[in-house]
Parts: sequence; structure tokens; C-alpha cells
Amino acid sequence: MSAAAARPAADPRPGWRDRRELVLVAVTAASAGAVGIVNPGFLTVENLRFVALNSVVLSIVALGQTLVIAMRGIDLSVAPLMGLSAMVCGLLAQTHGLPLWGAVGVALAIGLALGTLNGVLVAALNIPPIITTLGTYSLFGGLTFLYSDGTQVDQVPPAYAAFGNAGPLGLPVPTPVLVLLLVTAACWFALGHSRFGRAVLAVGNNAAAAYNAGLRVAVIRIQVYALSGLLACLGGLVFVCYTGSATVTTGTGDHVELQSIAVALVGGTLIAGGRANVLGTVLASLFLSTVLTALVFLQVPPIWYSAGEGLMILVAVRGGTRRAAGRA
Amino acid sequence: MDMRAPAAADAATPRDGRRLPVGGWELALTALLVAVVAGFGAAAPGFYAGPASLLGLTENFLPFGLVALGLSLVILTGGIDLSVGAVASLSAVLAAQLWSRFGVDIWAASALGVAIGALLGLLNAAVILRLGIEPLIATLGTSFLYGSAAVAAAGAAPPSGFPASFTAVGTGTLGSLGPLAGLVPIQLALFAALAVLFSALVARSPFGRVLVMVGYSPDAARYSGIRTGRVLATAYAVSGAMASLAGLVLASYYDAVRPDMGDVLLLTAITMVVLGGISIFGGEGTVAGVVVSVLVLGFLRQGMLIAGFSDMVTTMLTGAILLASIAAKNLFNRRGTGLANQIWATIRRPEPPRANPN
Amino acid sequence: MNRRRRSLGGAALALALSVSPLFAADGAMPDTAKRIKVAMVPKLVGLSVFKANEQGAIAEAKDLNIDFLYTGPVTASAQGQVDVFNSLIARKFDVITTTSNNPTQLAPSLERAMKAGIKVVAYDSDVAPQARDFFIQNTSYPAFGKALVESVIKYAGPDAKIAILSSTPDATIQNEWIGAVKSYLAATYPKVQIVATEYGQSSPSQSLTAGLNILQAHPDVTGIIAPDGAAVVGAAAAIEKLGKTGKVFTTGASNPDAVRQYVKSGVIKETPLWDEVKEGRLVLYVARLAADGALKDNDTFTAPGLGTYEVKDKVIVFSEPLVFDASNIDQYKF
Repeated sequence: MSAAAARPAADPRPGWRDRRELVLVAVTAASAGAVGIVNPGFLTVENLRFVALNSVVLSIVALGQTLVIAMRGIDLSVAPLMGLSAMVCGLLAQTHGLPLWGAVGVALAIGLALGTLNGVLVAALNIPPIITTLGTYSLFGGLTFLYSDGTQVDQVPPAYAAFGNAGPLGLPVPTPVLVLLLVTAACWFALGHSRFGRAVLAVGNNAAAAYNAGLRVAVIRIQVYALSGLLACLGGLVFVCYTGSATVTTGTGDHVELQSIAVALVGGTLIAGGRANVLGTVLASLFLSTVLTALVFLQVPPIWYSAGEGLMILVAVRGGTRRAAGRA
Repeated sequence: MDMRAPAAADAATPRDGRRLPVGGWELALTALLVAVVAGFGAAAPGFYAGPASLLGLTENFLPFGLVALGLSLVILTGGIDLSVGAVASLSAVLAAQLWSRFGVDIWAASALGVAIGALLGLLNAAVILRLGIEPLIATLGTSFLYGSAAVAAAGAAPPSGFPASFTAVGTGTLGSLGPLAGLVPIQLALFAALAVLFSALVARSPFGRVLVMVGYSPDAARYSGIRTGRVLATAYAVSGAMASLAGLVLASYYDAVRPDMGDVLLLTAITMVVLGGISIFGGEGTVAGVVVSVLVLGFLRQGMLIAGFSDMVTTMLTGAILLASIAAKNLFNRRGTGLANQIWATIRRPEPPRANPN
Repeated sequence: MNRRRRSLGGAALALALSVSPLFAADGAMPDTAKRIKVAMVPKLVGLSVFKANEQGAIAEAKDLNIDFLYTGPVTASAQGQVDVFNSLIARKFDVITTTSNNPTQLAPSLERAMKAGIKVVAYDSDVAPQARDFFIQNTSYPAFGKALVESVIKYAGPDAKIAILSSTPDATIQNEWIGAVKSYLAATYPKVQIVATEYGQSSPSQSLTAGLNILQAHPDVTGIIAPDGAAVVGAAAAIEKLGKTGKVFTTGASNPDAVRQYVKSGVIKETPLWDEVKEGRLVLYVARLAADGALKDNDTFTAPGLGTYEVKDKVIVFSEPLVFDASNIDQYKF
């Protein structure tokens, strides 16, 4: 963390030079290759397609988390928000035949509104982010229960299923992957190549300095939490389209809040703020998906899967910390 | 240390009262506790059916309190321990397996369980200090590892059916207290003793002073010759030991262990610590506040359920109370600025947020 | 665990008694004069299967003069259920009915309820026997194991390689069913090989991922037995996504609403469960009998519109497995 504080604020670009992306690509490719030698079935196009597809929802949510962490915040409420969005969109589609474009609107509106609420609590009421989002975690989770009244989403209309699985206009790339590419590009541009991104990183680096430099710190904070909410709800919509199901434990049951933090940090974003790696987040999520699939191909007993995940987090974050310390 | 954001809140909080075991916040929480107990006692039939049953309600939430006590030390240093749930599960499962598979005496197995918890806490500290990983992410990683190990150790049919002397810890009362015989749950006595111990440790002992100093400013602590690594390691070890103690009390209360039994502990315990007035940035707060907050949140939940509110509403309200009380605390400390002014002023022309002291 | 089947004699008796269902001279009868309070506590609120139990229970409560409450925890945890039980004890309910998140951890709390004079009726997933007055078992474990096997092996063939996709490694009822599947396979289809066992943690997304991984890692698998609501949906979705419909068959334990699309598209040929709505009605009927003290540990009774049941050592087997397929699934909405 002292590394981040010591870094000059004049260089707010996301950490291109630590080459975390290259490391992740290399490690992912190496593990995929190694598993492929043991079990060639791993390297089929079909399997790799699902490895990618399975990582999309987490990637989208984690990109929002990346923005928040870059600003030295944290957002635990992404998990219930993702679940709320999946439940509301799914139930509206299942029981009221809401068209897909309507669901996109509903998801984004929920995300913006509740994300903004997080932002206001953090920025205007000065509640620390971890406490704010711990509190809204319960509130948003409760909304899902209230809305669903104990039912679940079992089936979505064909348009939703097509959106979640097939490619648009007959393209071989599934729509969720394209959505992820778009979101990644937008975040990459916003964070690394826009005034907004410079402001976010400046706030993460040193909020006092950012304020003294004339930045509207509170407004930036609200915007970033709103974006995180937006992406969490977009993730929820993609989830319900891809899996065709949503229950009250969607998001929270899989601990998406912890997973999204983990992949953001493994991807090279610093928890102390001030530096983010958008591409790293997506690649880390892909790496996680690769490892979890590889464990099945290697016939590792399922009880050790989450241990594998834990080790991956510690090893990968350790590498990042060392590099950052070395640069300071 | 985990220095998450709005520095203004932190800077606005007076620090001069932190040596005292009770202050304004603790008194406010105590008033809230009285209101909660009296309110539900009057309004919810079944909440108060004699002193024994009222005290008996504490058995349902004191394991959370045990975790909160240990977690308080870690949060006072400015860290966080996300692994408490997994530590509770793993050490309780291991202790139960020692008893059931290897015939170890249940009390010896319990002592070993607490020792295992302390070791797991030390491992957390090692990951944080040796590998230089932030507490949040370090304990997130180890919680996955410990959780896996708990599932592996539990097997398909985890042990249950402990000796009656052991299950008495979770559900029995102290029998030899003269007029109070049969009134005080053993859990409550255990919690009270540990609460006094922790309060004295933090407020009155040299270790407590060092602990708070490390949380307040690690650099200053280091420069003044404090071996911060040792302080942090102690805090995480204590947190692990308390988590495993909570796991064992749960095992006794349920008369069984499960590899996921500790999962529910984490978020509630953090809520208890933070509502108790310990700053999430470290260096500030009292154990007394945490103790009262454990009772407030515990009785509130039991009372709401008895009054007929669903688990969902109760959980939502807990979240709302956490937010409202921390917001109120921040506003209160700013003396006189109204909520609307506050929001307006912050959005229009924020006070210069000061950097976190460390 | 209690494994029992209704005897042939019991079935004959059932047939004889169901002729005059309302005033059967034999067996336990409820006394609906006094209004009682009955709570139904599922593993967690928010799953359709439990909601279906509630639906049946609400209908039955009206006829039996019962104040009915459906309440449960928001996460599938023992702690959540115990908190709810404790509040029901304080509110002096007459009967608590519950399907347990795990059999052992709930026992002390339910024993306290029994000590306070509250009758406890377990259904679906049992608690420890000393902690309940009666247990309504969905179907007998061997019968359900057989139904699971038959609904896949019939299509995948008697020498198929199959996989098991369950919820968690320590899920009681799932482990009973898997045990029954294995013993039935050994006795009837010894050539069937179980090549993988994975867990979906009762999460739709993790079950889907596990299903995809099984099929990719073991391309020769032609059947997946997934005895869990989320698991069978995950397995079916995985088969569909990989375009293996008609080549790989799955079956499980899910409410018809959740698998309707897969049954119609042929991913699932048959999948056994039981009538959850009807089971909810039986739960309330037994609750009424228990509150009235009208049911003995070994007894028979006839519930109007439900049939005649035999109580053996406090256990009532609700029904034979009900196998859903394309021809009958639309008759069931839950």
C-alpha cells in the first residue's frame, strides 16, 4: 500500500508496465496446455468456448468491482444486486412476457438506482464502504425475497435464452462474450484514457490531493458505485439468460462479492486504490474458470476445488504485491 | 491495514476518549439495549417469560459475540479477518473427529480445537506479514483453504451426539450460584468472563495500548520501537482462537458439527464489531461497545422473530440499523449540521477529505 | 435411517378404507373443534418445491381449523432454522412441521420444543428420531433409488457410463438416494459404471458448470443422475448447451416447473419426485392428528382426498415415486 501512496499521481494509467496481463495469459495458456496433455478433451473448441462463457458473468461484475477498488472503495453488495436483477428480469419475463430490451432497461435501472444509493451513503454520509455495502447487502438481498415471494425463475423466453447462449446474427461468438468485450473496452477506455478514469485513480491514490486539485470527490464516488451497481445488474441479466434460472440465493449463494474482489486483485488492481487493471480482471476471471474446469479433467476430488481457488488467490496476489513493492 | 476510504468520517471522530471503557457511543447503545428489551418485553408476548427465559435467549446469539470479541482485536489493528467462519468450522470439525475417531477426551479435544484455531490465526498472520498480502485478501484466500479442509475432515457423516457434560456448555445453566442457580446460561457466563478479560486487555493493559497504537498509526508504532509484527500475529491468533471457541460452543449447542456451520458467523460478527463503535480503519473503539452491540443485535433479532417478523425482514432491519447508526454517529460528531445540509454541502463543496493517518 | 415400505396388506387395507374416506371407522381421526397454530418451516424460503408444500398446506389448514404460518430462514442454514424454531416456541405454537437442513444440528432445539408441549412433525428431510413425533418420508429410499436408475438406464443402456451430480458431499437425503442408486445398480445393472461424482452446492450456476465439466471431461458419459433440484436443472442445461440431447440422459429430483422445458425437449426422458402439493396437505393432516394426540406410534389413518396411510414406528411413507415424463408433466403445476 505504501507503494501506491508513493507513486506519483501524475501517472494514473492502469499498470501496463507490470505486465500482469501477459503473466495471466501465460499462466492460463500453460495450465490449459498441461491439462490438454493429460486429457486432450480439454483443448477442444467446444470446451474452451464454455470455459470462456462460464467466466463472463463474474467478469462483468468484477469489472464494476475493479472500478470501485481502484477508487479505494469496496462493494460487497454486488452479489445481492446481481441476484436481484436476475430475479426481477427473470420473473418479469417468465410471468409477464417482458421483452428482452425491457429487461435490459429494468436491469440497468435497478443497478443505477441502488448503486447510486451505495454511493450516496459512502460519499455523502461518510459511511465506510465496507460497512455501507455490508448493510445494503442485507437490504438488497431482502428486496429479492420481497419481490420473488418465495418463487424462483425456472425458464426464460427463447429470446432471452438465445441472448445468453447463441451468437447474434449467426456469429460463432456467443452474445455474452461480445457483451463482455464491449464492457471491457468501455472500462478500459474510461479508466485508462479518459478524464473520468484519471479522476477515479486520483481519488484512489490520494483523496485529499484529488480534492485539493479541484476534483469533485463525492460526485466521482457516487458515479463509481452507480457503475458498479449497473454492471452487477447487467451480470445478473446475463446470468438469467445464460442459465435460464434464478433463485433467492443467486449471487450471494456463490459468494460473487468475494469472487469479484478476488479476481480484481489477482488481475493486478491494488486494494489500496490508485491502480487498476481492467484487462487483468477479465483474464483473472478466465484463469479461475480454466482452473476450476481443469480440476474436473484432472479428476481432483471436488472437496478440494475451493482450496485450489484459495491458493490461486494467495499466490497470484503475492506476485502482484512483490512487483508493486519492487517498483516503489 | 485496510484503509478504505472516506477519510473525512475518520478524521471527524474525536479520539481523546478512546482510553475510557465507556463513552457517549457505549451509553447510546446501552439506552438502545434497554429500549429493545423493554419494548419487546411489553409488545411481544413470549419475549419475556421470566428472567431465566430472557437470559436463555442469549444462547442463540452469543457464539456470534465470541467471534466479535476476537475480531475486535484484529479490527482495532486496522485489519480484518474474513476466515473466522471457516476457522470455526474447521477447528470444531477437527475437535469432534479427534473425539469420535481417535477416542480423545472431549475436553482435551476442545482444548486442541482452540489451539488449532490459534494456529490457523497465526497462519493468517504469516500470510499477511511474510507474504505481504493485505488482510482482506489474505484471509479471503485462507478462508477458502480452511473451508475446503473442513469439508474434507468432516466426511459424509460428521460426528454428533457428544457427552452431556459437553452439550451443557451450549444449552445448560450454571447450577451452583445460590439464588441464581439455574438462571445464568453457561454460555453467558463464558461470554461475560471473556468480555471482561478483553475489555481489560484493550483498555488497561500495555498490550492494549500497543494494539490501538498499531491500528492508529502503524508507522508511528514502528518508529517508537513496537514490534508491530508480533502485535498483529497475536491479534490474528486470538481471533482464530475465539472463532474456534465459537465453533465449539455451536457444536455443543447443536450437539453436532457440520463443515459449513461457521459460515453464518462472519457478516453478523463484523456488524457487531462495527456497530459497537470500533472503527473499521483501526485504532479506535472499545470492547465494552462491542459487548453492548452484541446484546442489542442479538436481542433485537430474537425479539423480532418472536414478534412474528420473518427472518428476511429481521435481516433487512439489521442492515438498516447498521447504516443508520454509523450515519448518525458521523453526523452527530459534526455538531449541528443537519442531514440535508450535510448531503448538500458534501455534494456541492466537500470538506477536504484528509488522508488516513497511516 | 428408517427404510420401510408399505406392505401389500397395508395397500389392500388402504383400498378398502378409501371407499368411505370421511368416516372411516378404523384408524386415527382428527378433532377439529379447537383452533390450533401450526408452522411449516422449510430449509429456506424461496424455493419452489417448498412453496408447493405451502400451497397444499394452506388448502388443508382451512378444513382443519388451523392457523397456518409458513416461515423459514433466508439461507439454508441450521442456525437460521433454529432461530425460527426458538421464536415459534416462544410464540406457543401447537405444532412445528419442518424439513431439516441437517438431521443432527436441529435436534436440541426441537427437543426443547417437544419439552414445551409442542408437537414436531418432520417431512421431506428427517431430523434425529428423538427430536420429532412423526416423520413423513417422501418415498422410500430404495424405491426412489430404483426410480432414478430406471429413468436413465432405460435410455442410456445397461452398460452405460454414468456420472452423479449431487448437492453437497454431506447432504443426508441425497447420500441416502445415492446409496440406494448404487445398491440397485449393483444388483440389477452390474455393468453400469459410475465414472464421476461432482457437487453443485445446490446452486444453479455451479451445477451447470459442474454438468458442463462432467460432459467435457468424460465424453463417454451417457447418463447423469442428479438427485437434487438445482443439480438436475444444471445437468439438463449442460446437455442442451453441448447439443447432446438424445445422446445423454439425465434425471433427478426436481419440481415439474423447473424441468418442464427439458422434459418436453427430450433432455430428460423421465424424472421422479412426488406430489409436493399433496404432501403439504398430508403434513398438515398429520399435524392436526398429532396436536389432538390422536395418532399412535404405530397406527393407520385415512386422510380425506389423500388416501390411507400406515404409521410404522412414527414414520409415514407418503407415496411411491411419481415419475414425470412428457405425457404427464403438464398435469402438475408446482
